[in-house]
Amino acid sequence: MSKAYTTFKIHPGIGIARLGNTEDDFYLCPEQLGALPIACDELGREKVDANGDLVRVSQFKDANDLSKIKKQAARFKIFAYSGKEGEEGEEITIGGTYDFIYETPVMAPTLVRGKVTDIDWTVHVANKKASWYEFKETDGMHGYGPKHPLRNPKVDKPDQRRQLIIDPGPLTVNLKNNRGEFAKFGSEPKKKDNSKYKKVSYPQTFPPSDIKPHKIESLGSLIVNEQDKHCRLIVLGGNGNSGSTKTPVITSFVNNNGWFDDISDGPVTATIHFSFKQKYYDGDKEKTKTVNSTMDVQVPAWVIVGYPRYAPQMQDMITMDEKMYDLFVREHAYDPQVFGVAPFDEASNSPQTAAEWETWRNDAEYNPDYYPKFYKEIWTMLHRPDSYKYSYDFDFFAGSDPHNRGTGGNLSEEALSQVPKNGEDPYFRMRQFVYMIMRQHDEMNEYVVTSDQWPTNAKPRLMPMLCGNNPLSNTSPEKFLAMTQTQLFFLKQWMKGKFVNECEEWNDGDANCTNPWANPPTTGIGIDRGVLSNVLGGAFCPGGEISWIVDNPAIYSEPYRIKHATYLAGALSIPKPIADKDGSNAPNLAEGMEPGDMTKFIGIPWQADFHECTTQDVDVTYRGWNNIYLDSDGDPAEQDIAYNVPWWPAHRPIVVSEGPNSPQVYWASGIPPNNAGDLQMVQAWKDLGFLLATGEGINTAFYQQERNNDALGDPVTPGNRVLGQSIGESTEEDNN
Amino acid sequence: MSARKKRISLYDQVKETLNEIQGSTVPSYQGLHAFWLDPEVFLNASLYGQRLIAPDEKKAGHNGPHNTKTSGSSCCGGSSQASEDAATDSNPVTDPAVAAVEQPPTEIFIGDCWPSGGSGGGGGTPGDKRSAASGIIIGLKGQYPFDGSIFPPLLWDTDNKATTQQIELIAGWIDAGCPLTIEEEDNGSAKAVSLVKVRNQKLALAHGDSLHKASDKKTNQDTRKSKGINIRKEISSLTPAELDTYREALSCMYRYNDFWQDERSYDFWARIHTNSCQHGWEQFAPWHRMYLYFFEQKLQDYDANITLPYWSWSEYADQNKTSFKNTKPDLGVLPEAVGCFLTPKGLGQLQNAKGPDGKSLFTAKQISNLESIQKKGTIYNSGLRFLKAAGIPYEIINTNGDAAWSDRVRTVYNVLREENALWFPNRWPGAMGGPTSYPTKKDIQNLLSLETWSDFGGGPSYDHHFGSLEKVHNGMHNFSGGTNANYPANNNKWVGIYEKLGLTADPQSKENPPFGWMTDNRVTAFDPLFWSHHSNVDRIWAKWQELHNGQPEEMNGVLAPWSMTVQDSMSIKKLGYKYVRHYVHHDVSSDYGLVKFNSEKIKVSDSTLQNHEKLEIKLHRVRRGNLPNASIRVFLNAPDANIDTPTEGNDHFVEEISLFHGSCYGGPGHCNLPLDKTRNFDLRNLHHHEPRNYVINATATAQKLLNNGAKDMTVQLVVVGIDGKPIDNALYIDGVSLNFID
Repeated sequence: MSKAYTTFKIHPGIGIARLGNTEDDFYLCPEQLGALPIACDELGREKVDANGDLVRVSQFKDANDLSKIKKQAARFKIFAYSGKEGEEGEEITIGGTYDFIYETPVMAPTLVRGKVTDIDWTVHVANKKASWYEFKETDGMHGYGPKHPLRNPKVDKPDQRRQLIIDPGPLTVNLKNNRGEFAKFGSEPKKKDNSKYKKVSYPQTFPPSDIKPHKIESLGSLIVNEQDKHCRLIVLGGNGNSGSTKTPVITSFVNNNGWFDDISDGPVTATIHFSFKQKYYDGDKEKTKTVNSTMDVQVPAWVIVGYPRYAPQMQDMITMDEKMYDLFVREHAYDPQVFGVAPFDEASNSPQTAAEWETWRNDAEYNPDYYPKFYKEIWTMLHRPDSYKYSYDFDFFAGSDPHNRGTGGNLSEEALSQVPKNGEDPYFRMRQFVYMIMRQHDEMNEYVVTSDQWPTNAKPRLMPMLCGNNPLSNTSPEKFLAMTQTQLFFLKQWMKGKFVNECEEWNDGDANCTNPWANPPTTGIGIDRGVLSNVLGGAFCPGGEISWIVDNPAIYSEPYRIKHATYLAGALSIPKPIADKDGSNAPNLAEGMEPGDMTKFIGIPWQADFHECTTQDVDVTYRGWNNIYLDSDGDPAEQDIAYNVPWWPAHRPIVVSEGPNSPQVYWASGIPPNNAGDLQMVQAWKDLGFLLATGEGINTAFYQQERNNDALGDPVTPGNRVLGQSIGESTEEDNN
Repeated sequence: MSARKKRISLYDQVKETLNEIQGSTVPSYQGLHAFWLDPEVFLNASLYGQRLIAPDEKKAGHNGPHNTKTSGSSCCGGSSQASEDAATDSNPVTDPAVAAVEQPPTEIFIGDCWPSGGSGGGGGTPGDKRSAASGIIIGLKGQYPFDGSIFPPLLWDTDNKATTQQIELIAGWIDAGCPLTIEEEDNGSAKAVSLVKVRNQKLALAHGDSLHKASDKKTNQDTRKSKGINIRKEISSLTPAELDTYREALSCMYRYNDFWQDERSYDFWARIHTNSCQHGWEQFAPWHRMYLYFFEQKLQDYDANITLPYWSWSEYADQNKTSFKNTKPDLGVLPEAVGCFLTPKGLGQLQNAKGPDGKSLFTAKQISNLESIQKKGTIYNSGLRFLKAAGIPYEIINTNGDAAWSDRVRTVYNVLREENALWFPNRWPGAMGGPTSYPTKKDIQNLLSLETWSDFGGGPSYDHHFGSLEKVHNGMHNFSGGTNANYPANNNKWVGIYEKLGLTADPQSKENPPFGWMTDNRVTAFDPLFWSHHSNVDRIWAKWQELHNGQPEEMNGVLAPWSMTVQDSMSIKKLGYKYVRHYVHHDVSSDYGLVKFNSEKIKVSDSTLQNHEKLEIKLHRVRRGNLPNASIRVFLNAPDANIDTPTEGNDHFVEEISLFHGSCYGGPGHCNLPLDKTRNFDLRNLHHHEPRNYVINATATAQKLLNNGAKDMTVQLVVVGIDGKPIDNALYIDGVSLNFID
């Protein structure tokens, strides 16, 4: 049955803000894969050019100060859905009318047609990193053992432990009270706060004010704006401040006791204010009065604050959208035509009860007759590695070009996009070659193609040749990255010739068609997915913005939505061994997530891990081991190392160039690849350059700009070993 | 021929249609381009794995005219399997060094292996029509995988959408065997043109553009087809065919009467009443219910569509106002179905009847009278009245001391009985002795308003008394048997005749008894009117049961000679029948989703229109399309009703029914219709997917229209999607019936 009231959803389901250190200058989060951020005014209202197209940002720092990085704001909208089949929904407007549920303490809920007057947006972000467990690669992915070490282990009293959480409390803002600050009461930034309940106190917890080198007094701010009658929320993250209670030294890439940073995440909810005319009787006379009421948005959202995206247009080998999509496809019947039970239509794949879900999960499989779309589902992956030659030098001694997308290249778009026609399939071998070197999920610890069927003796390296979730320890190693199962399925169909070239079939016969999916999203789900497509989707060690927790189906309320937990003010949960001491709350995934729960797994301070995530030497002697001790007795092996396996070339550039005629230089020139460099990064992150794309299609090139050479010195060319400078071959430490 | 407009072949129409939909831009279609223009391609090729036209199952295994490709260079093999092979042959996958890594998988489709009752029309898998398995039809309809999940609906790269008519044209062409020329159309066994016509007719019916005709089949044939229970109708509502079958069955039974223990013999059944009938206490109604049930079962062995029609006495009350309240016998009026009449065949028999002298048995005047009776088609309520009209005197002769009919009378009676097995000679309906009253509608109402079983049905053996039902029933026995005016005790003239013939008046006389046999419980069931009389008794009880809770004291009492108890007789529905005065059925095709149902004018007799108390419209075997819910608006006499027709304040509007259901989830074939229940010991409940029925009470609306002068009735159903818009894949039904209940 159709329901009569309107369903309101906040989009994106997961918004992404990014740190910066300018005062008020910021831009909006891009909402599609590989797109530049959206330019906006000081209230976060997007800028549109004369053609009605969004104005994109291509300068990421203060025009006058290369040591000031602009923040990226997460923007949230509310969409209304009337519950019709296949409905795409549309953003609500101030003054727009919708079907609300009206209830009072003494009256049963009734349905009214009300007019939107304002929206109360409520956000609660926190940072739980210092209060959480140590990160130990994949250990903890499936729950923590009772002996799993804690960060700051000496803080073992529950009340003290809670002080390690940065919790500024929730803020509510609306069109009248349109600015909120996640800042410490009494601090300078808090003075700008005019949020709705600013006079209501909250048991805030902030790090001691004497942490070094940077104190943390705020996790960010909120703005509400109105544009074209739409009321939207802008969430800004922290300033990139990190500091230690002790003499600041970095001893680990992820776990540094005494340290805090101003990364954060948390729930975003909204309450819609509406008014409607109610009839009543005064004696016999019918009169009308205006009634004001509110209704909560039924499907709320989450905001995550990440580090700056230094190469905003460069696409990750696996995006967060693809990572989550894979999970939802396999676990939530999200796209039954891809993965489900025969006949793979919607009607046969709509389990409702727990028992039906169990049956479904047992029986569902990839649809052998699914035809992936070349540009949407195949080429989107295959064109990426070629762009990494602008952030990483694959082989700086030989200078080969293994991912060439041009004619004759391994990844020639022209050849790989050809669908078998009339029984003719001239490019089958090429597709098969590409598919055969893709790493399968049972090959996460394999370096080269293992198949005996490979036609030559020289076995190529499996792709992607990127680090996996754990190339560091011998506990559940996952040395290399494999594409998601769904992506590998798409590739398999494609290899077999079962795919569609959508340019040929559905794009008005446009000969120049290269990406039929390039338009900015207009639907809510399009925004959900577009925003996540610029977030790192692996590997997770611990990861980029967020970690392997995204692989856990329990944290979602529905596809692309984090489940909200209920919690008490000032009593956010702490690790179980300590919480048990006073019976306070320990996290329970089944109940949902609290503020800070999405980012708490990431390294502290974030700068250390980020700096070190360049390349990794991976031990490939034994499949299951990553550490062998050559000096110990009885180890017969000659150690075999895969050198310089990159981590995330699209998030953490390694070798860059400033232009077509400029030499390649280390991106982090001036910051050594060691603990001292990690510490230096706490300051130097704001001085690093950004990569901007130029050119179209296979001619796209990424060049560095806005590097603050005044602070970091001139960049260094690989091989040019200048005293104390990076040679680009950093290694992450293991925790053993 | 040459002067006529040039006939365009179906295939040319198909090409024209697809050209029109596609417009100027033709996308690649995997290199096939405008595939419909080349029959070789259209009939054999697959578009991204979807065979455009499903292979012809009948031709599989040998090369038909259209699947002659053998070359491996094309993917257009004769069947999907061959197509796979062809593709493989040209693929480098066969290079063993490369192949083993990723052979194109051997995909075994496990499919729908469980037998089912067939397609549920929209809800289930497509039917076994060739068009339904063809990618072009699936694609044009926008069904999975062309529902946008894997591919957009066909055709691609155009904003034009195929209309239902266009799709039907192409589907019809495919189901006709894809003839390419007019010659192939005409030679083809499939009769292409008529198939297309049939489909278009069905479609027009499903959209209300054509009117649904009432079924001319037997009522119980219709109810059984829609898996309903049998219906006993008022005897005047039987169709000629139904009446004929009933009469034939009785005639047949009469032939076995010499074999007195043969259950096929009519008298065998009549004697059961003689020997075992229960009267004057509470087993009266239950016993007779079972008696009719078993007799009816026997008749159904002859023809499964027979049920015992009832004789609604009170409907004949006006005509019998004086006939019963009278001292003159044989004035009563019975249902025409049980009267006597002459057909040309019977007339011929009488015309040719010869006496022992070889001369015509009847005088020229009598023959002329008989001819006139046949010509007028007059139906007489008794044989005696027939004889009177024919000018044939009622003569009795002495046969071995027994009173017997004369040759002339016997000859007439034999013919009349042959003409109508429901007529009986010893029947003089009307007064029996002194005047009594004939039951009116009011009397029946009074009967039905009795509160207790004791009043209505009688008392138990230890406190026995007649129930009122039985008392009324008694009177009607007497009325229908009546008085023989030609019996000495009833007529002084006949005292003299008997004396002359040397006959003694014998109350037990077989051919000239004092009263009709209906009046005598020993022999009453020999008169076939008995069954309709008791069918009405049973109906009144069934109606009383609906209104009251009372029941016999001794529910475990055994109803000899059957091993059944009173309890077993308590529900007529459990015994497989119900009473409907007049039943009109419309078959509806579930091949197409119903958008609007529009019936022709329904012929209902004045007496039905006047005498029904309730009009129920029943929707038979309703199935819903898989996802959309919808509602059905029911109208009477509103042929133009549509989605915009107001329902409030509209005298023609009956009711709006909302459909409600979830989507179907399970293994392949799960959503199909269930098998028919055929196993004897299958005690399971109604199957989840058994199509259900809706019953709508349209009495008030019908009464309003009739009071305003309506003489006929038409029914309209308008299907409305949840969005208030027309929807053509939400509702599939097998039939619509009107049930006039009295």
